Amino acid sequence: MFRYLAKRAATYLLMIFLTTSAGYFLAVSTLQPALLEQERIPRPTPEQVANSFRLKGLDPTLSPWERYVDWLTAVVTRWDWGRSPNGAFINAEFGDRVWISTRLFLASIVLTLIIGVALGVYTAARQYKFQDRVITSYSYLVYIVPAPIAYFLVQLGAININESIGERIFFVTGISTPGLEGNGWVQFVDMVAHYAVPTLAITLVGWGTYQIAQRQYLLDNVNADFVRTARAKGLTRNQAITRHALRVSFIPVAQSIAFTIPAIFAGGFFAEKIFAWPGVGSWSIDAIALQDVNAATATLAYGSLIFAIGAILADFATTLVDPRVRVQ
Amino acid sequence: MSSETTARTDMIAERLHVAGLHAPGDAPADAVLSVRDLNVRFNSENGVVHAVRGVDFDLLPGKTLGIVGESGSGKSVTSLAIMGLLPATAEVTGSVRLNGTELLGLSDKAMCRYRGNDIAMVFQDPLSSLTPVYTVGHQIIEALTVHHPKMSKQAKEARAVELLGMVGIPSPKDRLKAFPHEFSGGMRQRVMIAIAIANNPRVLIADEPTTALDVTIQAQVLEVLHTAQEETGAAVVMITHDLGVVAGMADDIMVMYAGKPVETGSVDDIYYSPRMPYTMGLLGAVPRVDVAEKSSLVPIEGIPPNLIHTPTGCSFAPRCPLVSDACLQGEPELWPVSGPLATGNGVAGSGAHKAACIKTDSLGAEVDVHEIFQAPAVPISRFDAVPRLERRTVLELRDVRKHFPLLKGSLIKRRIGTVKAVDGLSFDIREGECFSIVGESGCGKTTTLLEIMEFHKDQDGEVTIGGLSNKADSDARTKAAMRKELQMVFQDPTGALDPRFTVFEVLSEPLENAGMAKPAIRKRIMELMELVGLQPDHVNRFPNQFSGGQRQRIGIARALAVNPKLVVLDEPVSALDVSVQAGVINLLDKLRAELGLSYLMVAHDLSVVRHISNRVAVMYLGKIVEIGDVDSVFDNPRHPYTRALLSAIPVPDPQLERTRERIILQGDLPSPLDAPKGCNFATRCPVFAALPAAKQEKCRTLEPPLETAAAPQAVRESGQDADQQFACFFPDGELDADMLVVHENP
Amino acid sequence: MTNLNAIDPAAVAEEARIENDDVVIAKSAIILRRFLRNKTAVAGLVIFIALTVFSFVGGFFSPWDKETIDPFNIGMPPSAEHLLGTSQAGIDLYALMVEGTRISILIGLVVGLVSVLIAAVYGCTMAYFGGKVDKVMLFVLEALIMMPALLVVAVATSGGGNGLRENLPSWLLLIIVLLVFSWMGTARLIRSLSMSLMQRDFVKAAQYMGIPARRIVWRHLVPNIGSLLVLDVTRGVTGAILAEVAFSFIGIGIKVPDVSLGVLINQATSQVQTFPWMFWVPLVVMFLLTGSLAMMNDGLRDAFDPSSSSVGSAKKTAGKKGK
Repeated sequence: MFRYLAKRAATYLLMIFLTTSAGYFLAVSTLQPALLEQERIPRPTPEQVANSFRLKGLDPTLSPWERYVDWLTAVVTRWDWGRSPNGAFINAEFGDRVWISTRLFLASIVLTLIIGVALGVYTAARQYKFQDRVITSYSYLVYIVPAPIAYFLVQLGAININESIGERIFFVTGISTPGLEGNGWVQFVDMVAHYAVPTLAITLVGWGTYQIAQRQYLLDNVNADFVRTARAKGLTRNQAITRHALRVSFIPVAQSIAFTIPAIFAGGFFAEKIFAWPGVGSWSIDAIALQDVNAATATLAYGSLIFAIGAILADFATTLVDPRVRVQ
Repeated sequence: MSSETTARTDMIAERLHVAGLHAPGDAPADAVLSVRDLNVRFNSENGVVHAVRGVDFDLLPGKTLGIVGESGSGKSVTSLAIMGLLPATAEVTGSVRLNGTELLGLSDKAMCRYRGNDIAMVFQDPLSSLTPVYTVGHQIIEALTVHHPKMSKQAKEARAVELLGMVGIPSPKDRLKAFPHEFSGGMRQRVMIAIAIANNPRVLIADEPTTALDVTIQAQVLEVLHTAQEETGAAVVMITHDLGVVAGMADDIMVMYAGKPVETGSVDDIYYSPRMPYTMGLLGAVPRVDVAEKSSLVPIEGIPPNLIHTPTGCSFAPRCPLVSDACLQGEPELWPVSGPLATGNGVAGSGAHKAACIKTDSLGAEVDVHEIFQAPAVPISRFDAVPRLERRTVLELRDVRKHFPLLKGSLIKRRIGTVKAVDGLSFDIREGECFSIVGESGCGKTTTLLEIMEFHKDQDGEVTIGGLSNKADSDARTKAAMRKELQMVFQDPTGALDPRFTVFEVLSEPLENAGMAKPAIRKRIMELMELVGLQPDHVNRFPNQFSGGQRQRIGIARALAVNPKLVVLDEPVSALDVSVQAGVINLLDKLRAELGLSYLMVAHDLSVVRHISNRVAVMYLGKIVEIGDVDSVFDNPRHPYTRALLSAIPVPDPQLERTRERIILQGDLPSPLDAPKGCNFATRCPVFAALPAAKQEKCRTLEPPLETAAAPQAVRESGQDADQQFACFFPDGELDADMLVVHENP
Repeated sequence: MTNLNAIDPAAVAEEARIENDDVVIAKSAIILRRFLRNKTAVAGLVIFIALTVFSFVGGFFSPWDKETIDPFNIGMPPSAEHLLGTSQAGIDLYALMVEGTRISILIGLVVGLVSVLIAAVYGCTMAYFGGKVDKVMLFVLEALIMMPALLVVAVATSGGGNGLRENLPSWLLLIIVLLVFSWMGTARLIRSLSMSLMQRDFVKAAQYMGIPARRIVWRHLVPNIGSLLVLDVTRGVTGAILAEVAFSFIGIGIKVPDVSLGVLINQATSQVQTFPWMFWVPLVVMFLLTGSLAMMNDGLRDAFDPSSSSVGSAKKTAGKKGK
């Protein structure tokens, strides 16, 4: 098992390297920070711009290949992901933001999975009944709404609630109230008020897929031969389904975890942008708008890494629930 | 009681029965299971399907009732209705009483007290019937926990070990922790039986328990069922389509057709004196492995009726050769058969012989079924008269090998050994003969076919087809020429036809490829349809509009389209129902004679092989262990494996079955990892087991070569060698007593 | 549980009809009829076609175009003069809607169709050659899946001035990037489906008859994955429209002066409370688009499904039309 994971990890590492390199070349050839510098007042001379960029390791006169080699050397030897056009160090910028993003996603991932799977089981047990139709229709509806618009609508809803109550209950932007003083409890309430809306928004959009998948997999297994065997032993239909079909239907769901994590990650980019969370997503999109090559590449590498972690976790989860793939 | 009064009481019961009432005290007091007027209806898109129509039977303790029927006859639905396992949408009426307690109408929860406790069931497909994510031990213990919640953990574990031991699983204690995927199909079916008998049920229902298994494994599992019945004293309902399987086991038989019992009686009545044309046809349709004499099989034309419409006459009438106007006036009830063999009274299970046919009295043991069903005459090929060695060779294999790397792990694959799927195969096929390869699954017979069909230059060994060798040159032209000589018919007739092609398109594909002109193709297709017994105006239909037998005929027509010399038949009838199978076998026989074809057939059903082949090769783990003339090999098998294989095949003859000596091989095919060094078969060999250690050493270290058998006296005098070779050092050795089973006549 | 002898009851029912008028309906005709009998699916199709037609000819029904500023009506709600009101810049919203819908549909259709085409070629190639080719192609595919499309879109469409951005309108750039990142899932599906089809006996039968590989692919493989391809086109179109709106909404997809539904929605977000119609009108159109596609997808899936419940009555319609 360990050898297998190591091999997979090595493959993914190679993939991350390739995608990141490709990303670097794309970014280096499209993004032109020098052009933005021209808009400054007082307008710097081209020499000034070039000098300033050379100091930050962003020399526009070098060929893309030369810049790539420099950049790669720095990353490999010093774990230095370079600097932004404004001089900030990517490593320093990244650290806090990864933590902020992770905090936002973690709660959503857990909630999405739990609610999705639970509702899937619930609706499968009530196939074609009223509850099933309502919940499943909702999941299909979510499918035709773009995530950022859904988040925006949730935000609008929260604002409406605040307005109709006349008091600010939910914060629809930011991660905490700046300069808030008080004891632990006050801090905690503030945190919950900030977290509630984005987490709710991501979860509401996220669980639809899992509900549909879990419902389908369970229904596929409800009439399986082994459920009939369990009933023939003397288990009631419901016992047979909960003890046998349910467990088997988790196998494909566990495999699909790989795709949750990157999906939520992408959803997180939208969410950060809309709820103004200073996480990796909103930062990198803003940085790209400011023609920041190194920030774009670093985020790309981060996204690929998240995907690889998801894929390895999925393998791991599959081994956990399916004895057939366990490697002795 | 005279037969006349018997008839009258029966008539009264019958009338009450029709009125939906039961005569008081109808069921014998000692019946463990008594079913009356069981009806099952399903709603489908096209209307209500009346799947089971009025089934009655009584099951006495310790007895075995065989329910025989083809697919769609309602036999499985009957068993599920008894168990209360049908979906809630099914409408079940009638009465099912277990020890006098009515089971029908009980809630799922109430039914659970009986299921798995008093009445248990073994299902057909062992591969999908166990939950893949739980250990075998867990699943057996679950059956105990449900009905004995207070039982201690140790006691349950001990019982599970005992059960696994009882069904013949080696080192049961360690195997408790194994998952189902670590067991072979036969082993899983044993586990299923262990689960079923865990609580000593009074009734055990086995629904086609051996259909998915190999012959030698089937013999093992039937033996386990027999032991289980002896251990628990349970009454058994054995559901099967195979008349051979129940012949030795059952006390009573119920034959079902179109959801209705059409003939019931004691096993001897049914097999020796059938009174319903359907039963007679079924018995005549099965080839016999123990009979050399060649006669055509009885084909039953047509397909079973659609159960959506209530039949207005006898449901078998459209397929019955004896049909008359009277048959179409109302559906005949089960009437008692008056005759010398008629005994007892009451319903099925009490031994009364009854048949649902208005012509019952004119039928009986003395009627020739071949005549009634107009079985075709045995076709004679023009090659039959020519001695084998003087005929042209159409296919020759010399030392063909195919080894696969054996990989382990479903996520990571690493090579842990080599599977010798085909290991040095040599044989030849002459014009006009049918050569069959038999053996259990995994013996390499299908791989052999694939190797021949691929016709690759870098194949290990030489394949010569109609004089073209794969070694000489296998460029596109040679390959095209070879394809004209050799065509194939597949096992699964549905999978072999593109669902999006009409029959015309299916048949025109090889012809177009051969460059035939459009009008000629049309003409040829009409010819082909006629040849295989299909209506030429059906060419515009899609495959799913045909029955399985008809689809297989289309497959045969396609293979014959380009006039090949040799047709490869991969299990050509194993996917078909018995009555349909006979028609296809007869067709193959006829085509071989008329067109002078040669066949290379692969089959696991040795009865079919015996019926259709001239020569046969028995394969075990990639090697031929015995080869020769089919009658020599089957009547005088020399290799212990051939002997075991032949003895494992159930014969549709109750008396013979009851007294037959059977060799029950132990275990499954050995894993290719620990393939024996000497004789492949040594690990399971009944002769080897009985040999003294010194001789065992020889089997273990040396590989026995194929040697020609000493010819019987008569043949030797004619100056020829016998056409029989085998690979065994001790062909006449004593058999190990543990592997020999003879059931005493009960 | 596979019972080969059981006859498809639908086929039996059909048989009876064929017996009478001796006509064979091609499969595609049956599927078309099943689809047409599905009311939701037909409604979806009608809505989708109506929107497409609207986006091409809608401009002729209004005197305004998407560039002309009406200085007297800036940020006005719908009125007789401006059917859907005007934007903050005083441009007729109806004209913008026509233009935006056309761009969105264009992106959807091009990406949906071309990505399925790429997927089919890529997937079939993998399945057909197998071995090393398959391994390498699978690696490329997985690497592409791994790349966060969102960032690539952001980089590609934010480029400062030169290169791609200067020569291509932003919608074309978006189409290219979406195409690169949209075909992998379908390709993987087609690969596994083709692989299992190659194992089917009827493909083997064709091989053993000596039918050339090219013909086997064309006559046996493609028709048998055809239903999947059609379904994936509708799914792909929906996906591309959604992606365009999502990206444009956070300002990284289509960029002004190009207009699309996403751009229109994005522009209206800052003043939803004051100019609600600017937000809701394009949003409703987007819902109509994606919703109608989802309805079609559902109907198609039903029509392709051989076990579909609409089999029974399909006969009646088929019977009437057969000659």
